[in-house]
Amino acid sequence: MRNPLSSTRFMQGLFESDYVRSLVVGTVSVFGLLGLLGLLFPDSVAGDLARIVFSTSTATSTARLAAPIVLAGLGGIFAEKSGVINIGLEGLLIISAFVSVYAASVVGIGSAVLGVPAVAVGFLAGIAASTLLSAVFAVVCIEFKADQIIAGLAVWLIALGLAPFMSTVFFGGVNTPNLGSDATIGWGTSATLVILATAGSWWLLNRTAFGKHLRAAGENPKALDTVGVSVSKVRYAGVLLSGFLSGIGGSALALSIGQFVGAGETMVQGKGFIAIVAYLFGNYNPLGTLGAGALFAGLDAMQIRLQQLGYAVPDTLVQTIPYVMVIVVLTLVGRTQIPEAAGEHYETEE
Amino acid sequence: MSDPDADRTTSVLARLVGPFVDRTVAERLVISVAAILLSIAVGFGIVLVSGRIAECSTAAWTMPLTGIGFCYDPVEVYVVLFNGALGYPFAVGEPGLFNAGWTPLNLSFGLTLSETTLLIFTGLSVAVAFRAGLFNIGTQGQLVVGGLATALSILALAPLLPAGPVAGVVLVVVGTAAGAVAGGLWGAIPGALKAYADANEVITTIMLNFVAANVAYVLVLEVFRAEGSSVVATEYVPEYAQLRPWLFPTSSDFALVALLIGVGFIGALYYFVEHTSLGYDLRTSGVQAAAAEYGGVNAKLTTVRAMTLSGALGGVGGAVWVLMSEGRWLASIPDLGFDGITVSILAGNNPIGVLPAAFLFGVLKGGALEIGFRTDVPTQLVAVLRGLIILFVAMPEFFRMIGRYAGLGGGGVARPAEPDETAGGEGGEADA
Repeated sequence: MRNPLSSTRFMQGLFESDYVRSLVVGTVSVFGLLGLLGLLFPDSVAGDLARIVFSTSTATSTARLAAPIVLAGLGGIFAEKSGVINIGLEGLLIISAFVSVYAASVVGIGSAVLGVPAVAVGFLAGIAASTLLSAVFAVVCIEFKADQIIAGLAVWLIALGLAPFMSTVFFGGVNTPNLGSDATIGWGTSATLVILATAGSWWLLNRTAFGKHLRAAGENPKALDTVGVSVSKVRYAGVLLSGFLSGIGGSALALSIGQFVGAGETMVQGKGFIAIVAYLFGNYNPLGTLGAGALFAGLDAMQIRLQQLGYAVPDTLVQTIPYVMVIVVLTLVGRTQIPEAAGEHYETEE
Repeated sequence: MSDPDADRTTSVLARLVGPFVDRTVAERLVISVAAILLSIAVGFGIVLVSGRIAECSTAAWTMPLTGIGFCYDPVEVYVVLFNGALGYPFAVGEPGLFNAGWTPLNLSFGLTLSETTLLIFTGLSVAVAFRAGLFNIGTQGQLVVGGLATALSILALAPLLPAGPVAGVVLVVVGTAAGAVAGGLWGAIPGALKAYADANEVITTIMLNFVAANVAYVLVLEVFRAEGSSVVATEYVPEYAQLRPWLFPTSSDFALVALLIGVGFIGALYYFVEHTSLGYDLRTSGVQAAAAEYGGVNAKLTTVRAMTLSGALGGVGGAVWVLMSEGRWLASIPDLGFDGITVSILAGNNPIGVLPAAFLFGVLKGGALEIGFRTDVPTQLVAVLRGLIILFVAMPEFFRMIGRYAGLGGGGVARPAEPDETAGGEGGEADA
């Protein structure tokens, strides 16, 4: 069935449609224009913006902020391609963000378990917690045929309540204490994880039998059933992968500053929902998701820098830029090619 | 045997109670009750496990037979939760079943009813959108915007009118209308985006929540902040333009008239959804959008209308919150919009069902305050229960399965007691 990897096929996979190509061209030209404007008028707002966009500190905080968005977005692709719309990514990010900090503090910074340092233990614990919550979601959706959107909302709301609850139980407040700079992971780690996960997801989706099964489970479950592959198993795998990847994202987010903030909408602040828009914007392509996630995270990083520059615009208003941008993007993209059978239950026919 | 008169009475009776004993409605009811019991059971497990991990000097509760000590007493938590929300009508640990000095007009019950009143509006807001097949997660934002419009319009108008009860009524009506309009417009945005650009309303409403909170915060911080106020808040609206507590203690922030208005809204909305042509359009496009379009319903316009109405109800919720609970717009706004989702889902998105669902959730919220006063258990427990209830209501098939195993077959109705027993295992799984 599989053709040898010829370079043209590879490129087709990368830029499978005009849509992705126009996305790439658009992004490159916006950056080019901004750079040009910044060079020509260094004293204007454009100059400031260009300096911000092309500065190292913006780049590093983009890498840090992109991790939860891109990783949860990649996870969302796996779940939705398999036919289960996972709107609970936000909840998975919240639970892994909290558990990673909690586990790291239980082990104690500086100590290690079986040679594994506390930060790494926290990271793994975060991933485990997120995967476990996604397993509950999978059982509820696949076994008990729950409405996927409502169950996804429930996952979010459970995590939104549980993380501050646990934080109050263990630390006496909705915010955990900061573990200190020894407990943090650098932006380089976040960036590496994002790139590895993107490449791995792309390979898994486009180059393996599992990827084919995954797409079939979402597009035409009956056909998959006919060739003797269990639709349920494939869907479980898809949802668990979304939990696994979101877990990496949530842990990376919390451990990049060494603290979990549980006040209000928690430190995740809608990044799980932005992740959904990122993979819709990227048209279910991991590379597109990476681009879209980097764009949203870049906006977020930019607003942080803009605040520091002291424009007369209130900080809180600048903070809304990424949210407005998400709405604009979603309006422009609209409904993408959602898998045919996504959101529907599949009954095995005996 | 069959006396025509008796026949008529039964048919009238049947029609009257029909919607409530209809099998699907009955099933929904049982599922809602079972979901609540199951989430309480899981919550029990969560309190136990966190009580095991938390540190305390003396155990609050010791498990029978095993002798393992726990920092939190889960039985006490629920006793305080439900008994406290009603103002302790039941005597616990003292002789007699009831507290002799209890009256329904106590502070705790007033707080519970105050929450109930607010949840009626946000619950209706979510329910209307749901009936049209739309998930309005943005009730929170619509409430923020509506509440701000109410406070600002009253503050602007009050100096123009002579102080007094008449002006009070005018101001309350105008303010509430302003809240409805502002909330409606804010709700119309995701409606229009959904109808004309196919932008998923779940995402846009959640994003608009963030935008609403931030924009309203900045507006009040920079322009409308009360002088000398340590928090970000507007001036208080004049006392005669507030919904003041009546019968209940003043600090309960509960105005009976607001609850009655809420009940009136329930009736009006029920009539609108079930007995008007617009309501019919709304329902059919919710159930089967393509068929509705084929039948001549303008689906796009219905989507915008449903979201506008939903937003307007959220805005009225904001108005009531400002006029009854706070007396001003305050930046720290409770999660009323999210709780509205639970209320609506628990009510099966039926306006009539919103009343008991809002009361139940009002009890949980009122009881949470008591948990905070009387136990060491964090009050966020109620937020966990909120999520669990939604999760369990979303999986009716689970309860049907249990019903089948329990040999109830027929109606596919589970006995509420049954899921309780499986909850132990389920709870352990969720906590691990």
